[in-house]
Amino acid sequence: MGAIFTYFKNILTGFWNLLLGLSVTTKYLFKKTNTQQYPEEKMPLPARSRSMIKLIYDGEKDQFNCVACMMCAKACPNSCIKLEGVRGPDGKRRMTTFKLDFSTCIFCGYCVEACGFDALTFVSEEYENSVYKRGSLLQDEQAMKWNRPAHLAPKPEEPAKVEAAPAGAKA
Amino acid sequence: MTDLLLSQIKPGGESPFGTDEYVVNMGPQHPATHGVLRLVVKLDGETVKETMPVLGYLHRSIEKICENRTYPQCITYTDRVDYVSAMSVNLAFALATERLMGLEAPPRAQWLRMIFVELQRLASHLLWMGAFAGDIGALTPFLYGLRERERILDLFEMTCGQRLTYNYIRIGGVMIDILPEFIPKCKAFLDYFEPRIVEYEELLTYNPIFLERTKGVGVISAEVGINSGVCGPSLRGSGVSCDVRKQQPYLFYDQVKFTECLQNDGDCWARYRVRMDELRESISIVRQCLERLEPGPIETKLPPILKAPPASEIYSRIESSRGEMGIYLVGDGTAKPYKAKYRCASFSNTFVLDQLTRGWKVADIMAVLGSLDMIVPEVDR
Amino acid sequence: MGDQIVQWVAGLLRQAYAMLGLSPIAGILDRIVCAVAMFGFVSVFVMFLVWMERKVSAHMQSRIGPNRVGPFGLLQTLADAVKLTTKEDVHPVKRDKIPYFIAPILAFVATFMGMVVVPFDNKVVVADLNIGVLYIIAITSFTVIAILSAGWSSNNKYSLLGGFRSAAQIVSYEVPLVLSIVPIIMITGKLNFSSIVQYQQQAGYWFVVPQFVAFFTFIASATAEANRAPFDIPEAESELTGGFHTEYSGVKFAMFFLGEYVAVVVSSAVAATIFLGGWLPLPFFGFLHLPGFIWFMAKVLFIIYLIMAFRWTFPRLRVDQLMDFGWKVLIPITILNILITGFVVLLLGKGA
Repeated sequence: MGAIFTYFKNILTGFWNLLLGLSVTTKYLFKKTNTQQYPEEKMPLPARSRSMIKLIYDGEKDQFNCVACMMCAKACPNSCIKLEGVRGPDGKRRMTTFKLDFSTCIFCGYCVEACGFDALTFVSEEYENSVYKRGSLLQDEQAMKWNRPAHLAPKPEEPAKVEAAPAGAKA
Repeated sequence: MTDLLLSQIKPGGESPFGTDEYVVNMGPQHPATHGVLRLVVKLDGETVKETMPVLGYLHRSIEKICENRTYPQCITYTDRVDYVSAMSVNLAFALATERLMGLEAPPRAQWLRMIFVELQRLASHLLWMGAFAGDIGALTPFLYGLRERERILDLFEMTCGQRLTYNYIRIGGVMIDILPEFIPKCKAFLDYFEPRIVEYEELLTYNPIFLERTKGVGVISAEVGINSGVCGPSLRGSGVSCDVRKQQPYLFYDQVKFTECLQNDGDCWARYRVRMDELRESISIVRQCLERLEPGPIETKLPPILKAPPASEIYSRIESSRGEMGIYLVGDGTAKPYKAKYRCASFSNTFVLDQLTRGWKVADIMAVLGSLDMIVPEVDR
Repeated sequence: MGDQIVQWVAGLLRQAYAMLGLSPIAGILDRIVCAVAMFGFVSVFVMFLVWMERKVSAHMQSRIGPNRVGPFGLLQTLADAVKLTTKEDVHPVKRDKIPYFIAPILAFVATFMGMVVVPFDNKVVVADLNIGVLYIIAITSFTVIAILSAGWSSNNKYSLLGGFRSAAQIVSYEVPLVLSIVPIIMITGKLNFSSIVQYQQQAGYWFVVPQFVAFFTFIASATAEANRAPFDIPEAESELTGGFHTEYSGVKFAMFFLGEYVAVVVSSAVAATIFLGGWLPLPFFGFLHLPGFIWFMAKVLFIIYLIMAFRWTFPRLRVDQLMDFGWKVLIPITILNILITGFVVLLLGKGA
């Protein structure tokens, strides 16, 4: 008799637990959905988002901030940054060519952290980075040129880079 | 490998019906094998005679790459070892390097690391829960799990700028301090998340079909588990205490209160219960960490070029989301590791599969594979 | 009301036949028109169901689901159908040609044929067979042949496993399916669907009230018959990739797909007819004076929704557990139900 009792008890508890599961899914049937319709609705990424690397261009001086100190190239774990610079007539080094191969870039952020001259930055607004040709991923200084809006510029009293470059990253 | 199996097949084999055995390749492209794991399965009808995991389809030789990178640069590659639980691997490598060089991160960095690793454990277990339920045939928990996981990733992105490959936990500290709004947001998430666990449990835990599929299936006895090197939640499901956080506390795990989740049955259901309990434990750990977080530096002062002492070696282990994550480092006095070996939980967990599925049905392979929580990139590295 | 519409359409048809000079073969033409109309209706309804399933599953998972093609994505299935029909028909070289070709057709036709005996409204039925219940049970079992031959002829191990699983499953679940209808037949003494509905009308209650156990066992076995989750082991995606239709593509795959949904429609229609009173209005809503057709479709959609909710909530059973559930749970319960019903019928003297 006990066996028969447990048999029916198992069926009934099983049935109840099935109903419990159904109640969860049915509850969600009438709830608001979580989907974001991507191309139409775009989510603003957080300011710290590492989405696209840009070279900061100083519009007033009509030149890039980069002085070709090679720190970024050394910090890069994949050696995807190639740059050259010359010493200008005023005795300061200026970057002449800058190439970043985004097809091998892993967006680790070491180049931006290593940069001591406020020349490289992540831009969180531009995150649609896909291209039709692989060649387009090899970007030069013109493609990476970014006029920084005034409100994003570091305030004069603050140091240019809040975070120190990770020690050892440049070795 | 297939030939090896084929050669053992006896036509009109041992079956009382005189049926033939045959070999089925599950994967590398198969809807259930979590990526590119290939299973060569010898079947007699529906009954599994032998399962052989074939690895290497996702091999990227990360260990070799690490020999050619400086220690900080290696951290970027640890993100890719186990991308579902990247923070844990970051932490494992950072801790190993710190121990090799005799460094110590400041307390705030330690607390931050704990917060992020435990949040990562939540994210990883959520994805696991969904994938496991999907393997068994329930597709809805996967979406629920991912929905909550997205909110965790939002917290990560807010702090370190990435959703998958964080590169956040660094040698000697963390990459960047949290934003002031992180703490309220994180608390709000935990409050939102705790009732969700009840929902998952309603959907799965006592569902009779789920019970049928997982109770008594794929039993790892404590002995088998220890002998085959199973670790993490999978071994804790067999009642073996093996939590590195308890046994060899790192960070400040000895200062927070949490219990090691244990189940005694060793079957898929026990492993499921262990992970569901761990979700709750992780929530409580994150809450405690958030309370004890105090202002302070987040990085120690490091030498400009980080060099390991000559002829030094270290094996350092942490409890990642999947189990014991060990890093073996050999330093030769230069800025690059002479040898970096990753001891990954997924790899050791995968090879118990054959013992667990022999004599069971085809569908059980998926249930057992799912319950072991293996991630193919971590297996192949 | 449905009765009047049918009379009106029939009148129109008669006039059309007369104009074309086809009156002598009006009987045959009627049948053809009915069949075509039924085919069109079922096809459109199934398209709607595919959309509904995607929407229901999406909202259960807090997604949106199809919303691009047409209003609310209603034309999404049409777009999918166009895609499937224009696709290249890829097939394995070493297939068994004839069964491989016949299987999808059989799968679709066999399930579709079940629809003809289901009354949509009072006297609105394509063929009012007096053995309707027997007919539908017999004809829907044909799918097993289709699935088995698909599994065998594809020359693929996954397909073969799926085919054999399906054979075992459908044969096992046929028994509880029939056994859950038996009590209704015992009470009414009729095998004709329209008579069963009329009995419910006269009795004043639906059979779901006294026979709720039979209702649930029927839904469970019908779900299994239609190879739907949680009983979808013949096409278990996480184990067998696609099961018996792994190797099918394009139109042939579409036919299997349609067949699955038509099977769901047939099962739901049968359940709505014998357990939920077919075209009868909901209790207390009789004052609405809606056509019986609307009530019938509402009931069918409700049962289809139940079957969809099962699919998106429950995990999948293993093959041996599936057999256990059929033989050790469903069959004993249905037999017990038959016994109890028999006693009650004898006591109350309501038997035929």
